[in-house]
Amino acid sequence: MSKDILVIGGGIAGMQSSLDLADMGIKVHLVEKLPSIGGKMAQLDKTFPTNDCAI
Amino acid sequence: MLDVGRHPNIELLAYSEVEKVEGEAGNFSVTVRRKARYVREDRCTGCGACAEKCPTLVPDAFNEGLRNRKAIYSLFAQGIPSTHTIDADHCRQMNGKKCGICAKTCQAEAIDFDQKDRILELNVAAIIIAAGYDVFDPSQIPEYRYQEIPNVVTAIEFERLLSASGPTGGHLDRPSDRAIEADIEEMEKSAGKSQKALVKFEEKYGESSAAFYEKYQSGAYPDDEDRKKWADKYADHLTVVEPLEALRKKAEGFDVARRLAFIQCVGSRDFRFYPFCSGYCCMHSIKEAIIAHEHGPDTTSTIFGMDIRAVGKGFEEYKIRGGNHSNITYVRGRVAEIVEGPDNNPVVIYEDTRERKVKRQEFDMVILATACAPSKGIAALVKTVGVELDPYNFLKTSPLSPVDTTTPGIFVCGCAESPMDVPESVAQASSAAERAAEIVFQTDLIKEKAVA
Ligand SMILES: Cc1cc2nc3c(=O)[nH]c(=O)nc-3n(C[C@H](O)[C@H](O)[C@H](O)COP(=O)(O)OP(=O)(O)OC[C@H]3O[C@@H](n4cnc5c(N)ncnc54)[C@H](O)[C@@H]3O)c2cc1C
Ligand code: SF4
Ligand code: SF4
Repeated sequence: MSKDILVIGGGIAGMQSSLDLADMGIKVHLVEKLPSIGGKMAQLDKTFPTNDCAI
Repeated sequence: MLDVGRHPNIELLAYSEVEKVEGEAGNFSVTVRRKARYVREDRCTGCGACAEKCPTLVPDAFNEGLRNRKAIYSLFAQGIPSTHTIDADHCRQMNGKKCGICAKTCQAEAIDFDQKDRILELNVAAIIIAAGYDVFDPSQIPEYRYQEIPNVVTAIEFERLLSASGPTGGHLDRPSDRAIEADIEEMEKSAGKSQKALVKFEEKYGESSAAFYEKYQSGAYPDDEDRKKWADKYADHLTVVEPLEALRKKAEGFDVARRLAFIQCVGSRDFRFYPFCSGYCCMHSIKEAIIAHEHGPDTTSTIFGMDIRAVGKGFEEYKIRGGNHSNITYVRGRVAEIVEGPDNNPVVIYEDTRERKVKRQEFDMVILATACAPSKGIAALVKTVGVELDPYNFLKTSPLSPVDTTTPGIFVCGCAESPMDVPESVAQASSAAERAAEIVFQTDLIKEKAVA
C-alpha cells in the first residue's frame, strides 16, 4: 500500500494536478519525457482571453 | 513551473519515461527510466557556459525549427529543471569524433559522457495521465502548400515569431526573408574567405584586385603564372560577391509582415482528418492577431472560418474587441487553396459564403490554425499503463466521469482526454487530483480500520 501518486506529463495539466496534490500533503512523482516541464504552454507567447504571459 | 520545481512534496523526474506499470488502485508498482543526460544533475548549475561554447548546431524543436540550438542545451531559457542535456544523436564526442569542449568549459565538472540510464521503482496509489497532444501536421493537406510556400506557417510557429524570446525577438520577419538573410550570412562568410586569398596578391603587387583584373583581361600579363592564379582567385571571388550584392539589394526592401491571414479548422471539422472541433484554435487566432496588431498598429488580419467559436468566459467579448480595436476582419468561408504570388506572398483562394463568390486575396503571411491531434506516443503509453483509448486516440472517458479512465485508480486530464484550452485543462487537472487523492485517503481509512 502506498500513499504516493504518479503524474505522467508535465504540461499545464500535469503541473496543476501535481501542485494540488502536493498542497494536500500527498507525495507526487511527476514524470516528464522532455528535459524540462511546461509543455505546449511554455511555447506560447501569451494566452487568451487575458493575454497574460504564458510562463 | 517554478512552484512545481520547488515544492517539497513533488519529485520532478524530467527526461524520464514510464516503462512498466503493475498492480491495482491503491497499489501500483511503476518502473521509470531516467534517461542519461550526460550531465550530472547534482552538479550542473544551469549556467549555460557549455552551450555557449559547443560548436554543434541542431534545429531547435522548442522554437519549431525556426532557429538552432546547440548539442548541449536546456529546452528553453527558464526551463525547470535547468539541468542541461547532451543530445547524443548530434554531439560530436558521442559520435566518435573529437570534441569535449563542453567538459572543458564546465566549471562545475558536471559533464559525464559515461552516464547511463537509471531505473527507478515507485509504489503509488493512483496515476494521472496528462500527456497532452500534438499539433496536426498541415502538410497532409496538399492544397495549403505548407511545405512549399515559406510564408505559410502554423499557429505554433507564429507564437514563436511573436515571442520576444523567440527566433526573431518578436518581429514578424517573414520566413522567406529570413531564409535570404541566412543565405547572405553564409555568402558573406565565403566572400570573406575568398577576399583573404586576394589580400596576399594585392600586397605583393601593390594594386587592387579589381584594377589588376581589368588589365589582365585585356591581355596585359600573357605568361605570368602567378598573376594567372590571382586572376582565377578573383574570378572565384566574383562568383560569390555578385549574387551576394544582388541579395543585399533585395534585403534592403524587406519589411515585417503586415497583412495576415488566419485559416481556421486546418485538420479539424474535416472528415479527411478529425471530424471534431479542436475548441481553442478560433481563440488563439484572435489572440495572435491582437498581439500582432500590438506589435505593429498598421497590421491587418483576416480570419477565414466556417464560424468563430468563442465559447468560454470572456471569449465573445474578446472576439468583438479584436474586430473593433485590432483591425481583424472575420470572413465566413472555407479556403480552397493557397498559391504563391509575387514577392513570396501567399494568395488565398476562398469562397465567401456570404456573398457566394470565389475570391482571391494576397497576404504577407498565412497562419494555419492546426487541429489538436492525439499525441503520437499515446498508444504506447496506454499499453504500458493499461487503459483504453477512444476511436480518435484520446483517452476513453465517459461524460459523467470525465477524468476517470477505463481502469480504476488511473485518471486523465488536459488534452490527453480531448482537445481543450488552458482554463479547461486546469479545471480538469484539479478534478483529476481530487479523484486520485480519494484513493490515497481510502487507503488511509482501510489502514485505520485494520488497526482498530
Ligand atoms: C498555437 C496554439 C496557441 C494556443 N494558445 C492558447 C491560449 O492562448 N490560451 C489557452 O487557454 N490555450 C491555448 N492553446 C491550447 C493549449 O496549448 C492547451 O490547452 C494546453 O497546452 C494543454 O495542456 P496539457 O498539459 O494537456 O498538454 P501539453 O501542453 O501537450 O503537455 C503535455 C506534456 O506531457 C509530456 N508527455 C507527453 N507524453 C509523455 C510521456 N509518454 N511520458 C512523459 N511525459 C509525456 C509532454 O512532453 C508535455 O510536456 C493553444 C494551442 C496552440 C496549438
Ligand atoms: S562534446 Fe562537443 S559537440 Fe558534444 S555537447 Fe560537448 S561541446 Fe557540444
Ligand atoms: S476552434 Fe475554431 S478553428 Fe478550431 S476546430 Fe473549432 S471551429 Fe475550427
